[in-house]
Amino acid sequence: MRKIWFRSATALVLCAMGLAGTGAQAQEFPVQTKTLKNGMKVLVQSDHSIPNVALYVFYRIGSRNEHPGTTGLSHFFEHMMFNGAKKYGPGELDKVMEANGGSNNAYTTRDTTVYQDWFPRSALPLIFDIEADRIQNLNFDPQKIQSERGVVASERRLRTENNNRGLLSEQLWATAYVAHTYQWPVVGWMSDIEHWTMEDLKHHFAMGYSPSNATMVVVGDVTPEEIFQLCEKYIEPIPAHAPPPPVTTVEPEQLGERRLVVHKRAELPVLLIGYHIPQTNNPDFYALNILRTVLYQGESSRMYLRLVDKDQLALFVNSFSPSAFDPSLEQIIAQPKQGVDPAACEKAIYEELERAKTSAITDQELEKAKNIRLVEFYHQMRTISGRANTIGTYEVFFGDYNKLFDAAKNYAAVTKEDVQRVAKAYFEPNNRTVATLIPESAEKGKP
Amino acid sequence: MKIPTKTARILTVMILGLLVGVGATAQSIHIPPHEKLVLKNGLTVLLLEKPGVPIVSFDAIVKTGAAADPEGQEGLASITAELLRKGTKTRSAQQFAADLDYIGGSFGSDAGADFTSVSAEFLTKDLGPGLDLFSDALLHPTFPQAEADKVLAQNIDGVRSAKDNPQQVLGEYYAGYLFGARSYGRAEGGDELSLKRIGRDAIVKFYDSNFAPGNTILAIAGQFNASEMRKKLEEVLGAWAAKKVPEAAIPAAASVKGKKLLLVDKPDATQTYFAIGNVGTKVNDPDRVGIEVVNTVFGGRFTSLLNEALRVESGLTYGASSQFDSHREPGTFGMYSFTKNETTVQAIDLALQVLQKLHKDGITPEQLASAKSYIKGQYPPSIETSAQLARRIVQNEFYGLDDSEVNQLEARIGAVTPEVARQIIQKHFPDENLVFVLIGKASAIAPALKKYAEKQDARPVSEPGFWPPPTGKK
Repeated sequence: MRKIWFRSATALVLCAMGLAGTGAQAQEFPVQTKTLKNGMKVLVQSDHSIPNVALYVFYRIGSRNEHPGTTGLSHFFEHMMFNGAKKYGPGELDKVMEANGGSNNAYTTRDTTVYQDWFPRSALPLIFDIEADRIQNLNFDPQKIQSERGVVASERRLRTENNNRGLLSEQLWATAYVAHTYQWPVVGWMSDIEHWTMEDLKHHFAMGYSPSNATMVVVGDVTPEEIFQLCEKYIEPIPAHAPPPPVTTVEPEQLGERRLVVHKRAELPVLLIGYHIPQTNNPDFYALNILRTVLYQGESSRMYLRLVDKDQLALFVNSFSPSAFDPSLEQIIAQPKQGVDPAACEKAIYEELERAKTSAITDQELEKAKNIRLVEFYHQMRTISGRANTIGTYEVFFGDYNKLFDAAKNYAAVTKEDVQRVAKAYFEPNNRTVATLIPESAEKGKP
Repeated sequence: MKIPTKTARILTVMILGLLVGVGATAQSIHIPPHEKLVLKNGLTVLLLEKPGVPIVSFDAIVKTGAAADPEGQEGLASITAELLRKGTKTRSAQQFAADLDYIGGSFGSDAGADFTSVSAEFLTKDLGPGLDLFSDALLHPTFPQAEADKVLAQNIDGVRSAKDNPQQVLGEYYAGYLFGARSYGRAEGGDELSLKRIGRDAIVKFYDSNFAPGNTILAIAGQFNASEMRKKLEEVLGAWAAKKVPEAAIPAAASVKGKKLLLVDKPDATQTYFAIGNVGTKVNDPDRVGIEVVNTVFGGRFTSLLNEALRVESGLTYGASSQFDSHREPGTFGMYSFTKNETTVQAIDLALQVLQKLHKDGITPEQLASAKSYIKGQYPPSIETSAQLARRIVQNEFYGLDDSEVNQLEARIGAVTPEVARQIIQKHFPDENLVFVLIGKASAIAPALKKYAEKQDARPVSEPGFWPPPTGKK
């Protein structure tokens, strides 16, 4: 993530796939597509309700494509994409964009790097000029690399070192994965942030930034024709090259529970439990989403009623899973209340999971979950930026944006038995990693 | 269950409406037309029809907020708001949750400094049950003792949990240190001690004294039929008994004279989080548009003077910004950033230099033009959804503003000349008088902070409360 202060698109982005819901038929939501000669696919949806445009470019490269020693390079590179190319030098991209009414951000995940522009229609040609310049002629200024290192280190301190949930999550992934590249944090280990070189950056650019490795989504006050014309002028001449080498490592099956503890000065403990689940485009995606909704979403959900309301063990309990090309983690997070042993929260969570395995959810719960997914769909699709992100996420992670319109059908087809089957298949003890942050007493920390 | 075909049809209409209804022509920024009515019991209702997405958004303001919390019972307005859905005359908390979730509805209620907010959203097809839930919480809460106990305990732990994240609590310490124990200085959500002093009686009394139709503004925006809505509202909310509510008095605070510094010790911090500033402005300050333009240049966007200096040029931080957090009476103005322990002084010095430079050199015509263009270009997505529109019109009504806030925005921005900008800097941006609040590792940074202020205060983050320290009053 590049910025925190100026836009609030973060929440939308982070939960995109978890919430992606049921929709209508494809013909009711016209998306025009074109694949450029260099292989970049462009998706356009016109919406003239506000005079603005959301333009997202998804690159299929993330920390999954990294190696020990240069972890966090994809995210660092994301930052460098704003730090100067041929026509728009260091600092100029942001200055020109903002002076023309636009703003931008970007985010990196384990699988993708996504660039976002939000701007008035009047800035359309300028935005294409900027995008083409940096995809084609990115420049690496040694001074900028050095100062941006400081920025990213500060970002890491913000989200990880000084954020207990961030810190624990990093440890969870590092423990749940022993072989696959999902094991390191997207932001990278601090020592890697301090040591990567210009050569590493150049290599990363050459590996991941072929136009054929990207998908562009444009939603807003535009016509598909004008976008395709702009693409032909600005983007199509950029030559394609080889995509990143495939990630061939397969995480071996986990054969027993793994546990880890982080001792840290804190007011309250944190409990995080990870279960290996399949990649996003697996057919079980829909049943897992329904199960997650029944267990965690809303104050009538099973986990809320049990841990927060009835037993009063936790401040909150939730679960989420990122969009992923490879088998991923379902992460259950709970914050035990003061004086509550995290083990008590753990036990209650396991009992509720067990209940979902031994007997089917009710008809009422199934219907409720499907209604919630429908509303989530509208929530995602009611802004131009929400739509750009959702269309792009489906295109990239399911391989086809049309899957967005099949979601309604796919959710409708989920049965109580499906939900019970996925609960049994994935939520078993041997498949889990349990991370607990235990507060160190203030006394102990004193000299 | 099958996805209702009715909804699918609604979506078809939505998309066609979008494609055919409005041409791709240049549009000026405007708020869609809406109507205002006042029911016989005094409830003000604003209705804004926005066809497109089949959602209806409710946003109500009850004109009493956290600034009216009795001293020592900070958090009372906030807890009252949170309990609205936790038991009504016809529903238990659990039944309310079940009914709400079943239709995929959302409901939120909390107290800000000036007012209490109660909002909800439902699909248009569920408007009947949705309005029933919304009005049930607003009009008929019963505040069961068991639910009050749970919510209070949750919130006490919520404060503790927030203290594990410096960014989450910096604002509480800052407002407290700036305003002291009065109105905007008190923690809106209460603290570990004040919440313990709140009993059910106080909650019931707070509700009875403040929740009344004459003290409430309700905005509804989204896809609905206005004449049907009026009828429904008469039925459901017209029955809400009128009662007199004295207007909440909020004393206006004067700016802090001189300099003072509060260091909140968090011994495990590897980064110092800081706020520097003074008392800011009112929401309806006559200079508000000019202030926004100047602050955009100073600290309100990525290429702002502050972010350029502290992040882009020096790599000291992930972000630096400035913000006016305005209320009915003047709120806070602050410069905010964070940096590793070792560069704390360097970053603060730099922020202060940028502020001095603003006073000395003002802003250039180019910076001014750029900020104007930026505000205009970024504005439309802020009133894109029915929820955003409902919030905009209900807050305008509360603060005594009207649609010209949006409809005249471009003209008013245009009127901000370099000379106007100069005056705004002199009048609204602090210069010599500054309040500093830092959260960080005291043993690493404290000695170097002496130079910033004669008056220095300190407190460990782990001690209950924010600022001022609790007096121990029961």
